[in-house]
Amino acid sequence: MLEQILLSLGYIRPEVALVFTFLSAIVADLVTQRKAIVAGIVLGGLIATAYYVVEQVGLNVSTFSNMLAVDPFSVFFKCVIIGSSILIVMFSLTSNEVNSSLRRIGEYYALLVAMTTGMFLMVGSSNLLMMYLSLELTSISSYILAGFTKEAPDSAEASLKYVIYGALSSGLMLYGISIIYGLTGALDIYSINQVLAQGGTGKIALLIAGVLAIAGFGYKISAVPFHFWTPDVYQGAPVTITAFLSVASKAAGFAMLMRFLKVTFIDSTVLNVPLGMWATIKGYELTNVIIVLSVLTMTLGNLVAIWQDNMKRLLAYSSIAHAGYMLLGLTVLGNDGFAATMIYFVVYLFMNLGAFYVVMLVANKTGSEDIRDYKGLGSRAPLLAVAMAIFLVSLTGLPPTAGFIGKLYVFAALIRANLIWLAIVGALNSVVSLYYYVRIFRNMFLRDAEERAEPLTFEFSNTFILLVLLVPTIVLGLYFGPLVEFAQYSVAMFGVK
Amino acid sequence: MIPLDYYLVLSAFMFCVGVLGVVVRRNAIIVFMSIELMLNSVNLSLIAFSSFLGDPTGQMLVFFVMTVAAAEAAVGLAIIIALFRNKQTVNIDEINILKW
Amino acid sequence: MTLLASLELFDIIFYFFAFVTIVSAAVVVFSRNIVHSAFSLMFTFFGVAALYVMLNADFIAVTQVLVYVGGILVLLLFGVMLTTKVISVEMKTGTLQTLPASILVAVLAGTLCGIFWITDWLTPVARNAELPATTSSGIGRALMTTYLLPFEVASVVLLVAMLGAAMIARRERKR
Repeated sequence: MLEQILLSLGYIRPEVALVFTFLSAIVADLVTQRKAIVAGIVLGGLIATAYYVVEQVGLNVSTFSNMLAVDPFSVFFKCVIIGSSILIVMFSLTSNEVNSSLRRIGEYYALLVAMTTGMFLMVGSSNLLMMYLSLELTSISSYILAGFTKEAPDSAEASLKYVIYGALSSGLMLYGISIIYGLTGALDIYSINQVLAQGGTGKIALLIAGVLAIAGFGYKISAVPFHFWTPDVYQGAPVTITAFLSVASKAAGFAMLMRFLKVTFIDSTVLNVPLGMWATIKGYELTNVIIVLSVLTMTLGNLVAIWQDNMKRLLAYSSIAHAGYMLLGLTVLGNDGFAATMIYFVVYLFMNLGAFYVVMLVANKTGSEDIRDYKGLGSRAPLLAVAMAIFLVSLTGLPPTAGFIGKLYVFAALIRANLIWLAIVGALNSVVSLYYYVRIFRNMFLRDAEERAEPLTFEFSNTFILLVLLVPTIVLGLYFGPLVEFAQYSVAMFGVK
Repeated sequence: MIPLDYYLVLSAFMFCVGVLGVVVRRNAIIVFMSIELMLNSVNLSLIAFSSFLGDPTGQMLVFFVMTVAAAEAAVGLAIIIALFRNKQTVNIDEINILKW
Repeated sequence: MTLLASLELFDIIFYFFAFVTIVSAAVVVFSRNIVHSAFSLMFTFFGVAALYVMLNADFIAVTQVLVYVGGILVLLLFGVMLTTKVISVEMKTGTLQTLPASILVAVLAGTLCGIFWITDWLTPVARNAELPATTSSGIGRALMTTYLLPFEVASVVLLVAMLGAAMIARRERKR
């Protein structure tokens, strides 16, 4: 046992690096007055973690008595998460909202690192206990961060709603976990798979347990009908935290859900399936459940976004809709579908973070997050407006941007699995989303500013980060081969213990 | 000997009372108390399963659920206090800047 | 007569604590006075702890009393104390939409109970092992071997909670 533990320690270098960064940030915050040092330590620690993650490419082991899996699937998502963490830290360095509370900023960066640690553990968890614990680590850090600008009234309110919804969802999920434990006698998903494959477990009880567990997963990925917290929290939290939640937290939730679905319910002994597709254990038809979730999520997200005037709230509903598109990839229980969702995540990282970054910059200079204050942005800050336009085109899913590639692979997987009507629903939803994205575009370029319209200038660092997000959005739309290969490789080795 | 079902039914009742509390009550602190009720009912259910299956895994999960419940209660109450300081109320109906 | 004779002491104790637990839980949710709710929550926690003892989980029962009653309940009482306006004498809390929500939850409760009654719990994983008489050493050993990673993660969770709660609840000095 002891040797197994020591061996496992070598496989969690990224998580250990993150915890050390977290502790160093806390100590540095106590010791020094210059908060830039804390930010520097955090940034350094995150880059070191990124190095350890890249070092893990190619591993496929199960560590700590089947608690945590280190495989290409988790490494893929860890890359997405660490990338967004580094970008969010860079956003926060220049954000007015964050820097207005200088006394607390050390804790801000420390909690960002803690949230990243929780997400890293979420994507690797292969035991329901570990899934619950890492989910709670991420959630508790994000409750605190959402209420960071506590003087602003909507921030504290958003934080409270977040805590209540989050605690309710995790309570529901925990009840589902307890029923699964009672039925199967085990908490790690490999053993649960074996017991389910033997047959004989009470189907109705498992169905109820599944519904309750989906409440927990669905809350994290903002799937309808567990999405009620998303608009309020995204609007009330600081922009940097909203951006982080919309990309990284969703990625971690999806990774956990995908692992849970794949390992628990897929029968690895069934032989007569087409290459790359998986067969669920007899009697557990998951596809229909996921289809319902996906259609509800897409449709509601897109329809309600049309009415929104606050940019953060609009982007919140837009991100709900994108979660719906990603769930479409999940309905195809096969290598194609999962790889398509993973490709979508990388693409989504750049375009969504880009859109939020523009919102942050505009809020820095004008103090407003209302869509009506974007009028005339085309003449006041041309580079910013053009960048936003490109991000919006990508979010809609039009070529030649990366968003098109994401949707292309999802629809291709659907068509290959004979779910053509779903692809049509997805395409129709993209058309609906065009309407509210065009609203922003129209305000920026075709309307003039109402009051004084002095041009907005930004520092070089802001422009640099904007380009870091903009360039991949365009490049990935044209040259996406390596990304696709990486995703497909990560899926193929997944779940094979 | 009390059969397993009795414990599970008790746990289900407690869970549902907790869910009712979260959904219906308007005072944020009562909502937190209801959440603690829910978590306690889950713990009871897990310990019952653990005892009847002869498997200590359930007790381990309960251990960690208690830890997380404590952490969540601490954070939740801190947020309530910060909110109260801003607004002098903890009634969820009166806290409603963020509309549809 | 035969019914009374078949009731052992163990069963009587179970029914007593189950009654205490569920009645206290109902008082927590339905009471109009928040201090009444807080104190009946204490009775709920004690009732559950007694049930744990009856289910052979001695360490968990004591932890329940220490953590829930000694920690979380005290925290909730502080919260009640700090957020109730001193001016108003009665501490009323409002309720809304009680009827439809109650119906829904009653349906849920009925469904859950029905399913639990029907399900055949122990057949696929029927085990003959019994829990050891004292569980502390088993839990301790498990925490250091199989459950080492969750143990460490739980410590990070607690640190994050401490940090965050202090940060949010702190009174900021006005510059």
